[in-house]
Amino acid sequence: MAIAAVFILLLSGVAFLAVIERVPDRGLRYALLAPLGEAARLFAQQSVTTERPDSANQIIAPVGWFVVAVAGMTVVPFAPGIAVANLDAGVVLWGSCEALTIILVFLHGWSPNSILPLMGGYRFAAIALPAMLLSMFVLIGTTLPAQSLSVTAIVEAQTPLWNVVRQPLGLPLFLLLGLTLGLRGPFDYADSADLATGTSAEISGRARLGWQVARLAMTTAVAAMAATAFLGGYLGPWLPGPIWLAVKTGFVLLLMVVLGRGLARMPAPRMMTMLWTVLLPLSFIDLVIAGLEALP
Amino acid sequence: MARGRLSLAMSILQRIQSWAPVPVYPVIGKGGLRAIERLRLDPALTLVSSARHASIMLVCGDIRDGDRPALRQLHDQLPHPRATLWCSSPPLCDAADPVEERGDDATVALRQLDADLRAGTRTTEADWLPDQPPNAWMGKGDHGQGGKGMMGGVPYGRPMAMTDEDLRDGLDLDAMTISVGPFAPMLPPGLSLELVLQGDVIQTARILTSAYQEEMPARETSLWQASRLLELVGLAGLARRCRSVVQMTDVPTDSLYAAARRAGAFFAVPPGLGQIGASDVRTRLREVLSGSPSSMPDSAPLLIDMMRGLEWQEAMLVVASLSPRLLETIAPVTPTGDDRAAVTKKPVPHQNHMGHH
Repeated sequence: MAIAAVFILLLSGVAFLAVIERVPDRGLRYALLAPLGEAARLFAQQSVTTERPDSANQIIAPVGWFVVAVAGMTVVPFAPGIAVANLDAGVVLWGSCEALTIILVFLHGWSPNSILPLMGGYRFAAIALPAMLLSMFVLIGTTLPAQSLSVTAIVEAQTPLWNVVRQPLGLPLFLLLGLTLGLRGPFDYADSADLATGTSAEISGRARLGWQVARLAMTTAVAAMAATAFLGGYLGPWLPGPIWLAVKTGFVLLLMVVLGRGLARMPAPRMMTMLWTVLLPLSFIDLVIAGLEALP
Repeated sequence: MARGRLSLAMSILQRIQSWAPVPVYPVIGKGGLRAIERLRLDPALTLVSSARHASIMLVCGDIRDGDRPALRQLHDQLPHPRATLWCSSPPLCDAADPVEERGDDATVALRQLDADLRAGTRTTEADWLPDQPPNAWMGKGDHGQGGKGMMGGVPYGRPMAMTDEDLRDGLDLDAMTISVGPFAPMLPPGLSLELVLQGDVIQTARILTSAYQEEMPARETSLWQASRLLELVGLAGLARRCRSVVQMTDVPTDSLYAAARRAGAFFAVPPGLGQIGASDVRTRLREVLSGSPSSMPDSAPLLIDMMRGLEWQEAMLVVASLSPRLLETIAPVTPTGDDRAAVTKKPVPHQNHMGHH
């Protein structure tokens, strides 16, 4: 049942994102139909390959990214005791999914044997590494009140008060990581307009369809983890736990779309300075707040 | 029976495909900018940033003779099924059964062309170039690629990375020569550059072809320039809003300016980037969005000098922040042998395409 729930939530998230990110520009009717039309077009289109690509990694990157999104979701509990992998160190497994995303996006840039995708790949790796540190610090902050690395324990520890209230810096910082892992807006350093869509510039047809689905799936996984770690996950009155998790995940996805559309992207060196001198110190402060709050 | 089911499935697939806008790669020639910028707002179309993402290549405006090889290469990068629409542009002789559009609005022709392609009533266009390496193997050097050791050289006409001193710290890092343009979406139409990159930092630059010049009202030029800058900082939605007010001459741009400020567009641009006198990219973005007069001095350094040492996105922002008139002055074609633009390896011009099947 938990396995089915993971796929239902992921695929619902993919569909929801595909619609809501198109609404602001062209309206709801267009947004409801266009994603299906685009998917059908990509399905029927030729998958172009470049000269001497790294064919294996070209397949591994999108497939692997989707698998990593699924793997990340396995530690997210849908109700007390209901998770695919109710691990004692679930946060560590999630962290490894973040790290693997960096490798897979880099491979996606590397594999076409073309300069703009390659630049997107290594620029993403440079920015995503410090962004991942943000996530590690704020997630460690959520484990302190739970006194456990288990994601279920993190949810249960939020019964009196959600982490978004007692660690107010945590969710905003984690959302920045979400934008990074979902290649979105101010943190899209892999597939951005200045690189003519970067790592995606040389792909077409089903390869592009797969990459887009994987990107939306990863964004959904990040949103589900954010809802779990900071918004109480399945906790909530009246409705069943899985419904609460889905509603909160949808809310976080909406936030990520708004942030992704509404914030400008800095050139990589400026963002690097911002990450190391402003955002990482903020994540340390979040950790201190979490530590003080967790003191007996 | 099975054939009937297949036919039904194909018919449903085609119907679903029609729900999506037609993906078009715009090739902007002289006199084609205005028509293309208007098409960007058309809900029936989506103007894509990579030829790989398009079904139709739209050539709009006059293309210089020297840019035709690039046009051929671009055409062959489109996935099948594909077609080309020539809008106010004479078709190349390579194009069999060319489709031309003389009017200002190409939407109807593009939709019809797309529908014909999907229905199979129009056959996909064949390659315009042979599918083989653009140049012969060099046959020189330790491994025959024309470089040193296992690095460098231009085997098959493609420049390979070679260690060279980095501008910033003098470390020997891999320098890579690339050319970009004249129809690249992040550069003004017509402008093509040859860049030596280390990572994403530009070591040297050369102008291969200059930007096309167009006579347009100042407000129009400014707002299209602003929309390009906003796209480069990731604000595609705001760039779209910017394009939509171009035709509305009575609509002030105050709300656009405020929205750009709220989105952090000015903060995102490093202060002092592309400094010319008292004007930098940030100042120029403010000016084109607010419609205030330009604070640019009369003289400016050459673009190739300004690009040295800039990171890729910064360099694209600098280029997009310069008015077409200024670009004409400071971005002339770099003469061969210009010391400031000395490159470590010069690529051999590509005559063919290869490897997209």
